[in-house]
Amino acid sequence: MPDGTHTTIGQPAIRIDGRAKVTGMARYASDEVVANPAHAFLVTSAIARGRVRGFRLEAARAVPGVLDILTHENVGGEAEKPQPMSGGDTTTTLESDRIWHDGQIIALVLAESFEAAREAAHKVEVDYEAETPAASFGSPGAEEEVREAGEHKDYKLGDAAAAFAAAEVKVDARYGTPTQHHNPIELYTTTCEWRGGKLTVYESSQFVYGLRASLAKQLRMDPGDIHVVSRFVGGAFGSRGGITARTAWVAVAARRLNRPVRLVPTRDQGFTIVTYRAETRHHIQLGATRDGRLTALRHEGWEVTSRPSQYNVSGTETTARIYACPNILTKVNIVHADRNTPGFMRAPPETPYMFALETAMDELAVSLGMDPVELRRVNEPERDPATGKPFSSRSLMPCFDQGAERFGWKRRNPSPGAMREGEWLVGWGCAAAAYPANIGPAACRVTLTAEGRARVQIAAHDIGTGAYTAIAITAADRLGLELGQVLVELGGTELPAAGLAAGSSHTAGICNAVAKACEGVRQRLAQAAVTSNEGKLAGLDPASLTLSAGALRGPGGAAEALPKALARAAPGALEVYAENIPQGLPPESIGKVYQGQMAMSRGHSREDATTYTFGAQFVEVRVHELTREIRVPRAVGAFAAGTIVNPLTAYSQYMGGMIWGIGAALHEATEIDPHAARYVNDNIAEYLIPVNADVRSIEVIMVPEQDSQVNPLGIKGIGEIGIVGMNAAISNAVWHATGRRIRELPIRIEDLL
Amino acid sequence: MDVLLKVNGTEHRLAVDVRTTLLDALRERLELTGTKKGCDLGQCGACTVLMDGRRVLSCFILAVAAQEAEIATIEGLAGENAPLHPMQQAFLDQDAYQCGYCTPGQILSAIACVQEGHANSADQIREYMSGNLCRCAAYPKIVAAVQQAKPLMEGS
Ligand code: FES
Ligand code: FES
Repeated sequence: MPDGTHTTIGQPAIRIDGRAKVTGMARYASDEVVANPAHAFLVTSAIARGRVRGFRLEAARAVPGVLDILTHENVGGEAEKPQPMSGGDTTTTLESDRIWHDGQIIALVLAESFEAAREAAHKVEVDYEAETPAASFGSPGAEEEVREAGEHKDYKLGDAAAAFAAAEVKVDARYGTPTQHHNPIELYTTTCEWRGGKLTVYESSQFVYGLRASLAKQLRMDPGDIHVVSRFVGGAFGSRGGITARTAWVAVAARRLNRPVRLVPTRDQGFTIVTYRAETRHHIQLGATRDGRLTALRHEGWEVTSRPSQYNVSGTETTARIYACPNILTKVNIVHADRNTPGFMRAPPETPYMFALETAMDELAVSLGMDPVELRRVNEPERDPATGKPFSSRSLMPCFDQGAERFGWKRRNPSPGAMREGEWLVGWGCAAAAYPANIGPAACRVTLTAEGRARVQIAAHDIGTGAYTAIAITAADRLGLELGQVLVELGGTELPAAGLAAGSSHTAGICNAVAKACEGVRQRLAQAAVTSNEGKLAGLDPASLTLSAGALRGPGGAAEALPKALARAAPGALEVYAENIPQGLPPESIGKVYQGQMAMSRGHSREDATTYTFGAQFVEVRVHELTREIRVPRAVGAFAAGTIVNPLTAYSQYMGGMIWGIGAALHEATEIDPHAARYVNDNIAEYLIPVNADVRSIEVIMVPEQDSQVNPLGIKGIGEIGIVGMNAAISNAVWHATGRRIRELPIRIEDLL
Repeated sequence: MDVLLKVNGTEHRLAVDVRTTLLDALRERLELTGTKKGCDLGQCGACTVLMDGRRVLSCFILAVAAQEAEIATIEGLAGENAPLHPMQQAFLDQDAYQCGYCTPGQILSAIACVQEGHANSADQIREYMSGNLCRCAAYPKIVAAVQQAKPLMEGS
């Protein structure tokens, strides 16, 4: 279509996989059809600490249809424990008799039907040698690993203690956030099938190459003999980032039976067989001058982890670089308890740590008698306060200003309890949001066919983020095609490698790789056109040629339709493979991705600049004067994240993040039995996530921002930022409505009685 | 035990364990995997199908108890390459999902919501769509999708 148009980056586009999703044709991992599968059901530990003395399996074996029962006694040696994504060692499962936490996998029952497997699993009797477990902070037996300030990734600038002691205005407060579980609606299923020595694993994943590599190591296999398939992912939010114990046991089971095995764990098992967001505690000290300038910032955090793990999120990396302050001291401590190992959950560091900082900032604004937005303006830094590096771009105040304008912030009466409406106390609160702009290496193959269609292959992950469509948009933009002319293949280890879909890094990583491969296509077409003896583009500078609207075009209107240009460059189809290594990472980092390792250029560890996404969030809460019911009738979020590839899906992602924030602030908490170290509300009726009626008006403003330094396409990532400021904006609004400062989440009716 | 299930206008005869839910019969036996399992406990709505036009949770109905009914699943709403049902089209247009896992259940629930006469205002839609959890939290767009589809479904 030489005279047509083409899809461009930044134009709203309906998802290319949307039809599959609304017709039930999208195949999530447990929808993949395998021939005659055996069904697996997990047996999980009923104690949190101790040993398995033995099993009594007669009753379970007697259930008609039972095929096999796996325990450490018969298969313990067949797999190594999985490698944790980060931070120290991890807990074992069937590798030994050791029990590290409640709900640990201790046996796998296999049967002809799901019903038989479930019945038999319930008939497995276990003799335990139980020890008293430690559940959480303050439990007898919990071990705090005390670290010195400045160790770890902590920051020490100036003398925070002295500056705090001398400050004119101070905030000194402690905050807490609860245990939370991702609870994607798709369960944590795994299906394994062997063909000869080769294994296919159908499992929803945020990192198919990582899953493959870790599983290969566990099963002592060549990674090339494992194929991981994850075409559609039914929600992830961090829960499918690292490998968990279940996968290897399903693979071992399928090998023993010589038959495909499907595991569909229950919802409650999902609370203990994958990771979660651990509870945190914070101590914040802010010192300021009377005109609101910060002179001291101390942030110390405590996080729970399992006994062997060193996993921690260390959100002080962000809280140390939001505001200008000459004296900063941060520290993170970890507390080991008899719990499953925690892991990433949406904005892992920022959700808890920014709650503490941004609530403290609101308290400071109150002490100063200053508007909270103005307090942020006064403390806007010239450069990254923690390192002195420039920000590649920083639009925090434009976000505050545009958000405030839309919200109507200037009509706020600052006195708490002053804005009631009938029986409802109305509160308005705001908070800053920030998240590092991360990016990982990725490889991609683009094939242009004679019909002028493109096929893009990349082992990316669409976890609901719209990756299929973002990839297609990028390719269409760069190749001058319509969206419908691009076919995308993702979610499998047969494709060129892409890294972990986490840390809001994925769109930047994969789209830059796609653009690079497309640039390779353009160069090949341009080279062939200019070196030809015929054609309108012969003899021109190849760098001056572009692909747009179905044609290769030169300056001054010379153009050649794509099929013609292609025929000259390659017979049949033109295939280009490219690897994109983000700025600051070594060339071998793409090899690490192929080997399933984490490789990421992080927004706070680049040499040239600090790269961050910023946002400002405004919330109205209503608290009923008698019942103290808390509602959120409206929220406005303004975010600047560089290039937005697809505003339609970006809106959904920001909005989803904000609603996650409503859940985190007001609903979600996994309750832990302090004696048994056991999750109590391990289902989605009692673990409260927002439902439709909990959500009213959510407005998203995408503040325009161009950042040519962050990466070539200027993409910063948006998956996490939507949740980051919500906890504090809501707690600040609750203070404004009621005069009550709640420093522990979630905020519930009983906190306001 | 032998059962006869009428799904999307087709009759299927199959032998099931008496404990088999309609959800597992659809997914594991009939390979109709558009109906999703999110909890198996009647808590999430992902398994919603229509039975004689009424929305039900297929994880809460035994296959043996579903024999008399006309069952409609997401696969039956539009044939391959055929035009989408107005509710499917509305979910697509409004981007009323992210991961899409709750979507089949949301769409069937939304169709029933309109047919029950429970889609007369945004508030009413929110209330009557609250049995279908969406962890991606597409809720405001789900409300918009129901509002888009309603007049088309009512033929106005
Ligand atoms: S699977 Fe039936 S309600 Fe959740
Ligand atoms: S779209 Fe993911 S759960 Fe609703």
